[in-house]
Amino acid sequence: MTKNNYVALIFQKALGDLVSEARRGYMGMLWWVLEPVLYMGVFYVVFAIVFQRGEEGFVPFLLVGLVVWKWFATTVPQCANSLMANVGLIRQVYIPKVVLPGMVVTASTMKFLIVFVLLLLFLLVSGSKLSIAWVSLPVLLLLQLFMMLAIGGFLAALVPFLPDLKLMIDNGMMLMFFLSGIFFDISHVSPTAKTYLYLNPMTGMIDSYRHVLLEGVWPDWWMLGKIWIFSCVVFALGWALLKKYDRVYAKVL
Amino acid sequence: MGKPQDKKVALRVENVGVSYHRRQGFFKKEAFWALEDVSFDVFHGETLGVIGRNGVGKSTLLRLLAGIIAPDKGEVINHGVSASLLSLQAGFLGHLTGRENVVLSGMMLGLSKQGVLACMDEIEAYADIGSHFDQPVHGYSSGMRARVGFSVAIHVDADVILLDEVLGVGDEDFRNKSSTTIREKIKSDKTVVLVSHQKGLIMDVCDRVVWIDKGSVASEGKPTAVLKKYLKS
Repeated sequence: MTKNNYVALIFQKALGDLVSEARRGYMGMLWWVLEPVLYMGVFYVVFAIVFQRGEEGFVPFLLVGLVVWKWFATTVPQCANSLMANVGLIRQVYIPKVVLPGMVVTASTMKFLIVFVLLLLFLLVSGSKLSIAWVSLPVLLLLQLFMMLAIGGFLAALVPFLPDLKLMIDNGMMLMFFLSGIFFDISHVSPTAKTYLYLNPMTGMIDSYRHVLLEGVWPDWWMLGKIWIFSCVVFALGWALLKKYDRVYAKVL
Repeated sequence: MGKPQDKKVALRVENVGVSYHRRQGFFKKEAFWALEDVSFDVFHGETLGVIGRNGVGKSTLLRLLAGIIAPDKGEVINHGVSASLLSLQAGFLGHLTGRENVVLSGMMLGLSKQGVLACMDEIEAYADIGSHFDQPVHGYSSGMRARVGFSVAIHVDADVILLDEVLGVGDEDFRNKSSTTIREKIKSDKTVVLVSHQKGLIMDVCDRVVWIDKGSVASEGKPTAVLKKYLKS
């Protein structure tokens, strides 16, 4: 099979997964919008109503963080599990294992883009101003996409050998969630704590989206550069592992 | 049937060993050699039978030939052929229709999308399940699934077909039809490697037989001769 065929296969499988997910419930594709809305509703209730954090601009602040976090949080664990989830396939046919995380990222990104467009519309309606800095959004999205593929692919390569890692991933995601500044402003944290919080690449990502979308200023390119370098390293590691054990996974799984 | 020696080698298995790891405790792992030292050739156009007891590594051998796994020692030398395991329902998704699954599965098995679409009518006619073809497969009976699965798999034309006891699937009618198709493939110039426990079939269709025992080739040659030794053991 040629490279083009594998790219076509990634899209075909992503589409198949999405269609199949949509047909599962009565409301089908509506859930792609409804589910994130409900998810965000939960946080709105907890923070804006229960904790009375309803100051001006808190809702857009929260939503931007939640939307891009949710993309990350659904993609990475699923990616990490992508080899395990396709045992049957891996044992029957040869496919380069590197395409499996790619299928997951493609499917979840298609779903995310719908929600992201809705978020942009919401921000415009609720008073955010379109700014020239929005031009940098594709860069942010591509960077996050690459970062998720890197982390997810790296974990996917390890999970078949260390199945226990799966539990750690779930808890790790939760930790990252609370430390990524989704419901607090990272600039209010003490400088020492801030250094640690920025070890979480999603902290920097969320911060950048907020700069662009809510304040209309350019993101911190230096920080994005660091995230990019981190992603490159992790991606290379994951790629090398998946290549090295390409024809071993069928025995391990 | 010419002498195999006159023919060109398609796949060469050279001193191949495959080990699996059995977990024995927290960090302790024990290597278990399914195949230790196996060597044989697969020639263009022949039908090679592989026999041996259960658990002797016959399926592992087919996976090696298909390139799904790599040997832990030795080498599988591929002389520029594509080899694939006849696998049914690879990558099927329950909520997709038969037609949609044919596209997906065909692509998983190595066809291009255009390639699958080009023989879609043939596949549909072969599966012969009427209007169910456009219904989600989770509503299918297992026989209907097998029909669709077989129809795609048989339309994927690899140079070397690897068969692991898959000869006929589905109900009486389809079983006859599918086993006829496979026999036609075997009888034609296709290169086929067949794992089977059915002596009659091996005698009937194979040009040569390899008997695997205790991790290596116990005997190799004409079906009658090898089967005789195998049955005596």
